[in-house]
Amino acid sequence: MEPYFINASPTSPEIDFRFDHDTLSIKGESYPENAAAFYGPVIEKVRAYLAGCDRIDITVNVSLAYFNSSSTKMLFTLFEALNDAALAGNAVRLNWYHDEDDDTILEFGQELHDDFGALDFHDHPVVSN
Amino acid sequence: MLYEEFNEFWQVARKRHIIFFYVGYFSQHVVAAISETIKARLDTAGAAGPTRRRIFSSFVEMSQNIMHYSSDTLTPDERDNQMRRGSFCIGMSGDSFFLLCANPVSTENVEKIRARLEPLHTMTIDEIKSAYKKALREETPEDSKGAGLGFLTMARDASEPLEFEFVKEAHDPETTVFCIKAII
Repeated sequence: MEPYFINASPTSPEIDFRFDHDTLSIKGESYPENAAAFYGPVIEKVRAYLAGCDRIDITVNVSLAYFNSSSTKMLFTLFEALNDAALAGNAVRLNWYHDEDDDTILEFGQELHDDFGALDFHDHPVVSN
Repeated sequence: MLYEEFNEFWQVARKRHIIFFYVGYFSQHVVAAISETIKARLDTAGAAGPTRRRIFSSFVEMSQNIMHYSSDTLTPDERDNQMRRGSFCIGMSGDSFFLLCANPVSTENVEKIRARLEPLHTMTIDEIKSAYKKALREETPEDSKGAGLGFLTMARDASEPLEFEFVKEAHDPETTVFCIKAII
């Protein structure tokens, strides 16, 4: 499948999905005006990719410095789709990067870990400047 | 003379320890520009990392409320690229920061907004967190353009219960000003 790339904007993250390398990365800050409109096509791409995955090693890198409440909801939906793919026999590694003193993002990571047990969750605290 | 006129505003703001103040139309560009400004201002105000993040998070939720729900809009026929009117300020009071936000809403929505905010008032932080977790896993409410998580997010970030008020517009009974305050 063709790679899917969206440039970061001041209020939305960079989307860098290299489906040919089974590596999906999201990086930046996320508080677009309409989170459903921003993430809708992103989730759709991931679902289309996952539909063709069978016993694949998939790596997901998420490095978001901030995401607002409506983005949180969309991210939850995205991870649900990835968890389903893992339950279907793929190996999905989720690298979860966050500032070491960011409790909110750490806690959301733990939520994901609790809810989506099929994901191979790796917490990466990053030392802040 | 000109500067003096200006100084009067500034003196009032300084007396109230206001760090940032904006009244007018909010668009996504305005939100991005305010974000950049308040991040820099909070850096120089010496707020700790977690405090800065909570203030920023509350600002974003408040600005999204204005952009989604303010009844005074310049873009009534558009779904996106909204420009809607509201007021927002950040200030310091003693050792804590406060965020204050006001925007007109349709009077018929007042009870709905109140019903969402009132229960939060008596909840402990653990109850707020578990309500947040529950809402995250539920379908988005039909009347919500966000995720129905905005007030819960503000309540989670605040160090005291959210304060809110509805003020009737004397000249326009169909419009009520909704005001909300978060102390971080």
